[in-house]
Amino acid sequence: MKWKMSVIVRTVSDVMVVPIIVFGIYLILHGHLTPGGGFQGGAVVASATALLIVSNGALKDYKGDFSTMESAGLTFFFLLAFLGIVMGFAMFYNSLAGTGGIFGGTVMSGINPGYINTGGTVPLMNIVVGMEVIAALSLILWMMAKNSGMMEVEK
Amino acid sequence: MNLFLILPFFVVMVLVAMGLYVALFKKNLIKIIMGITLMQNGANLFLVSLAYREGYVAPIWTSAPATDMVLPTPHALTLTSIVIGVATTALMLSFVIMLKRHYGTIDSNEVRRCRE
Amino acid sequence: MNIATHLPSFILGIPLLFAFLTPIANKFSKEIRNAVFLTGLLLTGLFVGLMAYEVYTTGGWVYIFGAQDPVGELTTESLFRITFVADGFSTLATLTIIITAIGAAFYSLGYMKESPGMGKYYTLFLLTLAGVNGMVLTSDLFNLFVWFEVTSIASCALVAYHNERGKSVEAALKYMIISVVGGLLLLVSIGLFYGEYGVLNYALIGDSVHGSFIDLLAIGIIMVILAMKASSVPMHMWAPDAYAEAPEPITPFIAITSLGALFVLFRLIFFVFRGAVEPPALGTILIFLGVLSMFVGVSMALKQSDIKRLIAYLSVSQIGYMMMAVGVGFATLDTADYGSFGAMAIEGGFFHMINDGVYKALLFLSAAAVIYATKIRDLNKLGGLAHNMPYTTFFFIIGALSIAGIPPLSGFSSKLLIYESVYLYHPILAIIALVVSIITLALVAKVFFNAFLGPDQKMSKGEVPSSMLIAMGILTAVVILFSLFPHYVVSEIVVPAMESLGVGA
Repeated sequence: MKWKMSVIVRTVSDVMVVPIIVFGIYLILHGHLTPGGGFQGGAVVASATALLIVSNGALKDYKGDFSTMESAGLTFFFLLAFLGIVMGFAMFYNSLAGTGGIFGGTVMSGINPGYINTGGTVPLMNIVVGMEVIAALSLILWMMAKNSGMMEVEK
Repeated sequence: MNLFLILPFFVVMVLVAMGLYVALFKKNLIKIIMGITLMQNGANLFLVSLAYREGYVAPIWTSAPATDMVLPTPHALTLTSIVIGVATTALMLSFVIMLKRHYGTIDSNEVRRCRE
Repeated sequence: MNIATHLPSFILGIPLLFAFLTPIANKFSKEIRNAVFLTGLLLTGLFVGLMAYEVYTTGGWVYIFGAQDPVGELTTESLFRITFVADGFSTLATLTIIITAIGAAFYSLGYMKESPGMGKYYTLFLLTLAGVNGMVLTSDLFNLFVWFEVTSIASCALVAYHNERGKSVEAALKYMIISVVGGLLLLVSIGLFYGEYGVLNYALIGDSVHGSFIDLLAIGIIMVILAMKASSVPMHMWAPDAYAEAPEPITPFIAITSLGALFVLFRLIFFVFRGAVEPPALGTILIFLGVLSMFVGVSMALKQSDIKRLIAYLSVSQIGYMMMAVGVGFATLDTADYGSFGAMAIEGGFFHMINDGVYKALLFLSAAAVIYATKIRDLNKLGGLAHNMPYTTFFFIIGALSIAGIPPLSGFSSKLLIYESVYLYHPILAIIALVVSIITLALVAKVFFNAFLGPDQKMSKGEVPSSMLIAMGILTAVVILFSLFPHYVVSEIVVPAMESLGVGA
């Protein structure tokens, strides 16, 4: 069954995918400062996949890519968790916070707009969790749409 | 007692009871999963309502004194349980899609061949 | 800083890390994937062994995740950190889990060699391992919920591995719906505890519970949910379907998730619930559930002709022995009876748990060997396998005699402790236990006669591949080891587990 919406819907969704993905990435990167984070941002990005599937009724075969991205994200997550032990503290200890370097800035006190170079391992974990959630949710949507006959796989 | 402080708990009771009713007594597998999702929402709302303290502020690092902040633990628990809920719902829906392809039906009375 | 203090986090983290490395390795080749999987599993086994050594030499400790000092005190700032306990009870549980896991893993390597999608299979295997390990190690109620759900999701996906068969998907969906509804009710009762005491740590809740209505409600829900996950009657309906429809090599591992839930239930009973309820009342409930599971499980097994469903019902009835024994022990807590027979009952119950995990795995795996060789599961159609499959026959005999409690095998040692102690509590309990044991013997004898004895009908082409024989051999060796030194196992593994729960031997 070929499902395809009108050309207006398809054009608009092709354009809208870009701001959706940018907003999702913004949510992931600012997860330690504003409401949001890896899961929420990843879900927003994955909604772009849903939009493409619904409007076009077809998508290329990204199954292998999504699967690799998901596993890589989670592997990095647990490597970051073990970083605490490597640095001599407990697992999941935030050993990068306040040490200078990447995401190691000092948190300002008082009412302020937030400083992105803080948080230690938290923003790094947000990024890898974001990777994982983007890939996993997109993979779920892709598989469900394919197996329920909603979508065709483009060659 | 302020009515608005106990109202969320009534909503939780209604949501969980409705979810349980749907999950136990409906025959359509999709409806059963919808009932489970209702229960998930009820449980999440329960955790969030537990966290509310009158007059306390959100736990964000500003100049506010630490004693006037609510504990963020229930919110963290809620986020975790939402994430788990997504995973379980997705898995159950995929099972239903597969069952529909094998048996051609999603009626729980007809999807009962393990006992034969 | 002693690196050994990190062992609980390794037992959890290594399976998780390797679970997600496995699909990446799968992109390269089958051999690399299998190597990565086995490395993860054997590393976990190594760390379990090291933790056991460390616990038995230095005593237990509490590991705090995310803290600067992993073994420091819980302060007001770190009240909500996730804590894992490494003590005798965790060691008993993780040892049971890892022995079965290693058996099931080696068996999978041979059995599932040609099956598609094995990258996902091994990932889910390691995820289930991490989930069960997390469940038995954690001492934080919310963390328990997380691992409960991880175990449910991973093991349900494993049950549905043969998704070309409608029945597998059906069994998985049934298991999933029951687990998810159970998990949500568990979450609600955790919320009740949090709302009343404002803490989530077992020990801190255990200090403050006093038996209010909210306490009893939460305790009731948690007990029902964990008994459901432990496949105790009357919440057992998911178990035979899931065990029968899961891929054959993974079935003992699905059964281990039930045993894991039982470990958690016992830990909660002794750590948390003890202050809130009268021991005789809670003990009586456990005894009631146990007797019901024993009796219903074995009588449902009588009419099964599918070899895996029969063993699945037997495993439900074995769960009953542990619940009854620990129930008797708990009911006599703080009385003079505890010294005379209560402690012995708990000893027997805990010893039976580790025994049961191992010989049940052996039984499931030798049944799987029969299915692998003949592609037949119906006992009425099988026959004469002993001619071609001598090793499998031997392994099945060891497992069968052990589950029936025939001396000198390990099942006898633990059941004897149970019979002796529950007889002093109430003679009728011991009589029921004996009758169930006899029916179990009759059932395994029926399986043995139907499948293995009789004229050679040329059903199998010979013995199963060597990796499967090695897996069954490992489990048989463990059963024989436990049979030869039951006293040593009780004094070195079971008694420390009891002491760590605050009940002396």
